Amino acid sequence: MELRVTESADTELSIEIGGEDHTFMNVLKGALLESDDVTTATYDMNPEQSGGQTEPILTIKTREGVDPLEALEEAAGTVREKTTSFRESFEAAA
Amino acid sequence: MPGEYDVEFVERGDREARFLVRGATPAFANGIRRAMVADVPTMAIDEVRFIENSSVMFDEQLALRLGLVPLTTPPEGEFVEDDVVTLSLDVSGPATAYSRDLVSGDALVTPAEENVPIIELKEGQRLEVEADARIERGQTHAKHQGGVAVGYRHLQRVEVVGDLEEFEDEESRIVRGVIEDEGELLNAEEFDNDLAKRYPGKEVRVEDVPDAFVFHVETDGSFTVEELVTRAADSIEARADELEEAVQL
Repeated sequence: MELRVTESADTELSIEIGGEDHTFMNVLKGALLESDDVTTATYDMNPEQSGGQTEPILTIKTREGVDPLEALEEAAGTVREKTTSFRESFEAAA
Repeated sequence: MPGEYDVEFVERGDREARFLVRGATPAFANGIRRAMVADVPTMAIDEVRFIENSSVMFDEQLALRLGLVPLTTPPEGEFVEDDVVTLSLDVSGPATAYSRDLVSGDALVTPAEENVPIIELKEGQRLEVEADARIERGQTHAKHQGGVAVGYRHLQRVEVVGDLEEFEDEESRIVRGVIEDEGELLNAEEFDNDLAKRYPGKEVRVEDVPDAFVFHVETDGSFTVEELVTRAADSIEARADELEEAVQL
């Protein structure tokens, strides 16, 4: 996973996440939107045939005073907690 | 609020199962589904050396067929990328070469399905090959897909809201998937997918239960359904870990 910041401001961040596709990006976006600190979260991905930017670019806007990078870190943690909790519930049922 | 999932099996077998997950967002459910289809690696034959092929098919055609034979995939961590397991096959006609004729160099990696015909050989024809199996993700080639039929539907809640009028014609009301009837989970196939058969003379209301997904998962035999689901969750978790670490730097 290669990260490359394409745009950065106090409460706004655009970051390219290399090697990922909708599988992870949409889960991550969903986790970001669950946070009250995040006002906007979206990602853009183009098909391979487009010939342009094909790696997903994640754009985050946060509330005043919240570092978007920190929001991203927190969201990654949320995704991890979700998967752990899902696996535990699944194994308990299995 | 992350977590707090509730999982319940509706039907379960080694290769095919149906289970309900409550408390999941659509994004998370779809992430798990996509991971099962394209991100959980399985073993499959990737390179074939032909020692003798006097059959009626080209080497390339047979190589494709061999690649599509599902192989059992060892536990996570047992194999890494570029590890190779060699399988050999030697069949002389008149006979049909089946997947069960593949002799594996590793007991962990064997054909998951015994009766896949590879080619029919006539008198005097012979096929002798050596094949290397590799572990890869479904993203690179469909032969590495562990989950062959993976999908989900919303759980549907059925409520009886009243009786039909006395002389009203009964119309069939078709539903698919799994319904919830006063807390009981029921596959719609059990009543022929027709609510009119289960609730004769009643008026019913059907609604989707929010955040409750009924997964239907079928594997190609590489591993059990449970393995597939846990590995899919692991694969998303591994990426979340990687991202968290990368952001901290």
